[in-house]
Amino acid sequence: MAVRIVTDSTADIPLERAQALDITVVPLTVFFGDEAYLDGVELDNPGFYRKLQASKVSPRTSQPPPGSFQEAFTRLIKEGADAILSVHLSAKLSGTYQSACTGRDSLPEELKKIPIDIVDSQSVSLGMSAAIMRAAEEARQGLGLEEIKAHLLDQISRSHILFALDTLEYLKRGGRIGTASALLGGMLSFKPILSLKDGQVVAVERPRTRSKAFERIAQLVGSMGALEEVIIVESDDEVGQQLARILRTTYQGVISSYKLGAVIGTYTGPNTAGVVVITAK
Amino acid sequence: MQEQSPRSIRLHRPRHISVFDGQDLKKALLVAAAWLEEHREVINALNVFPVPDGDTGSNMSATMQSAIRQIADSEETSAGVIASKLAHGALLGARGNSGVILSQTLRGLAQGLDKKDTFSAPDLAAALQEASRLAYRAVIKPVEGTILTVVRQSAEAAQRSAERGDDLVGMLQEVVTAARQSVANTPELLPTLKQAGVVDSGGQGFCTILEGVWRYVRGETGALDTMVAAGSNNATAIAQSTAPGTQPKKGRVTIEEEFGYEVVFLLRGERLDVERIRQTIIDMGGVSTVVAGDEKMLKVHTHTQTPGKILDYGVSLGSLLDINIENLQEQSLTYAAASEAEHTAGSAEEERQSSALHAEIATVAVVAGAGFEKVFRGLGVSAIIPGGQTMNPSTEEILAAVDTVDADKVIILPNNGNVILSAQQVPHLTSKEIYIVPADTMPQGIAALLGFNFDADFPTNCAAMTEAAKNIQTAEITTAVRSVYIGGVRVREGDFIGLINGNLTVAGQNMELVIQDTLQRMGMDRYEIVTLYYGEDVTLQQAGETAKRIKRWHSHLEIEVVDGGQPYYAYIFSAE
Repeated sequence: MAVRIVTDSTADIPLERAQALDITVVPLTVFFGDEAYLDGVELDNPGFYRKLQASKVSPRTSQPPPGSFQEAFTRLIKEGADAILSVHLSAKLSGTYQSACTGRDSLPEELKKIPIDIVDSQSVSLGMSAAIMRAAEEARQGLGLEEIKAHLLDQISRSHILFALDTLEYLKRGGRIGTASALLGGMLSFKPILSLKDGQVVAVERPRTRSKAFERIAQLVGSMGALEEVIIVESDDEVGQQLARILRTTYQGVISSYKLGAVIGTYTGPNTAGVVVITAK
Repeated sequence: MQEQSPRSIRLHRPRHISVFDGQDLKKALLVAAAWLEEHREVINALNVFPVPDGDTGSNMSATMQSAIRQIADSEETSAGVIASKLAHGALLGARGNSGVILSQTLRGLAQGLDKKDTFSAPDLAAALQEASRLAYRAVIKPVEGTILTVVRQSAEAAQRSAERGDDLVGMLQEVVTAARQSVANTPELLPTLKQAGVVDSGGQGFCTILEGVWRYVRGETGALDTMVAAGSNNATAIAQSTAPGTQPKKGRVTIEEEFGYEVVFLLRGERLDVERIRQTIIDMGGVSTVVAGDEKMLKVHTHTQTPGKILDYGVSLGSLLDINIENLQEQSLTYAAASEAEHTAGSAEEERQSSALHAEIATVAVVAGAGFEKVFRGLGVSAIIPGGQTMNPSTEEILAAVDTVDADKVIILPNNGNVILSAQQVPHLTSKEIYIVPADTMPQGIAALLGFNFDADFPTNCAAMTEAAKNIQTAEITTAVRSVYIGGVRVREGDFIGLINGNLTVAGQNMELVIQDTLQRMGMDRYEIVTLYYGEDVTLQQAGETAKRIKRWHSHLEIEVVDGGQPYYAYIFSAE
């Protein structure tokens, strides 16, 4: 069975990796004023942060239009897909999931015969894409849609996100702060540790400094029991390495690291680093 | 025992009293409370610590006032009932450590006199034993040379007196003598007292109360006026910070993230069927659809991902006018930003009040200083108990705050060593689940709040907040209100003094040097961030200059300047 995997650019899967795994990535768009950039295609992580520093206007994002999904699905079906699994970031964070659904619904009748399963991961970035990459490998091995989807959902349910920000400003300005809005309005500065729960951003703790934040993340990771995989997602090398150093005090396994893309960066701002921890079954 | 000379017969109460009833007990305690109040300042002056915090005389007097308020107008004749009411009043009104211990002695007295309408000397001796036992139990680490010793030795004297067959008058004479001796001996038991050249203030306070009773029994009193001390009727000023959620959320709009487009147009046609058109648009996926008008002209309003489809449908029915299509996502973000700006400007105060940290766990904090109140509120505290000038709320005031918050699980931040005992009485007085974080200073309370984990349950958070409070060092800079020799430091009244985690370590006449010395002794090398809270008598500019100096002395530090607005303490620093 030829199952094809689709996702969007908030998965933060490096370009070559997506190509190697044959994952179709539908990009969101990042706007700096009137300038529009396709996330991950026209604007990568270093490019985004350079622009963020240089630009006077705050970046905005928008979901891919349904047409992009219609196009992608059409192409994959014409290439011989027996089924499509399209996995996207939380519907509470973006209209991307809905857009994908609309795209599927707009397909001509004869193409609608092919099953297209669209999944709201309730997560984002490596919180969903570690599972997506594994799904792509399973698809290559010829597993069926139902099985791949079951594994995907299971792995996502065992994926826990913890990230530390320099400031809540970007989340707040972008309207994605979720229940972490309870942290706003205080008189003291802190480097918040946040997570994702039920598809939206939630507050975890309020350490005063970045090093304390990373120490706390390391402690929290250490208390999670047996771990299958630990992934660092970073806005840049320096902050990612700082987190990795401190994480090694409680976790000695392999740590892989990824860069967060322009869309995620719009809501987190610079100097962001976090972990995606996949707990063992 | 005085001999009565025939020429100077004074009107006395009988020299021998075998029994006391409720009214006797009441009058005796009224006199004792008044006697204590008269000596309030004298006892305050015995406080070793030269800071205007937690004055023992005031605390014990306030506690006594709260006790006698329960019985002042009572006609009750049972001693046991009177004693029980006294204890109850003291329990609620207990202020400061000495006040709490006093309330426990009254509780012991009440337990000893339970079910007794009248009591005699042996009963009193037994009751004083109970009082002593409960006083020691009130403190985790009992220290000799304090009020505890005086209570114990008074009880021991009463016991000896009962064995000798003394009556109440005789017993009280023995008890007061023993108490005075015990107080005089406290410097031998507590080196800090000896160094400071004073006796223990709490012990003196208890002794004074016994003296008051003794004076009543000997008839050496004026009119038995119920002197309720001025100012002890402390209106619980919790109104400010009560009931999270009762304040309407002004200016805060919750935006449901909407995606797609808003489509609005006028449709002109013939025989238009409003109902059918509405239903068709809904079937097409239109959300929040409104179709209004008549068969010749109607207005359509809907939200959709596919505006074209809706417009095509409209065109098939008639002609479209005033077509308007808006991108909802763009709109909602702008609206959210605008409402945010508007609400922060105006109603930030109310907003913060009602955004509690957590649905099931509430926190209440004792706070002194307008700025500190803002900090605590900004961190999501559910209720604030105003600490007043000397950070001494009564058990009742703390209990009231616990009662006003919505949650069933409440964490108390006492933020002063003198409040912890009062707070510890609260769990006995409420059915809510209470945990008291051992926070001795406001910065510790702040650290505890910052250590709150939104994901964790109550027990985990109690542990986390306790741990967070421990990991912070507090320094306080203030002016000495008296001269004293303490902890090896000679302090002159008017000196600037530096305290590290409550211990007086530096004194001097130059504030800048005192600050520098204090911080140096804390060992700034191992800390990353120092938060400077400046008091109500310090200006922002002065605080800024102090911060600059600290940065010069310790360039690696991150320094945050916050308006604390606290009374008496020019600066409070936290280092972490």
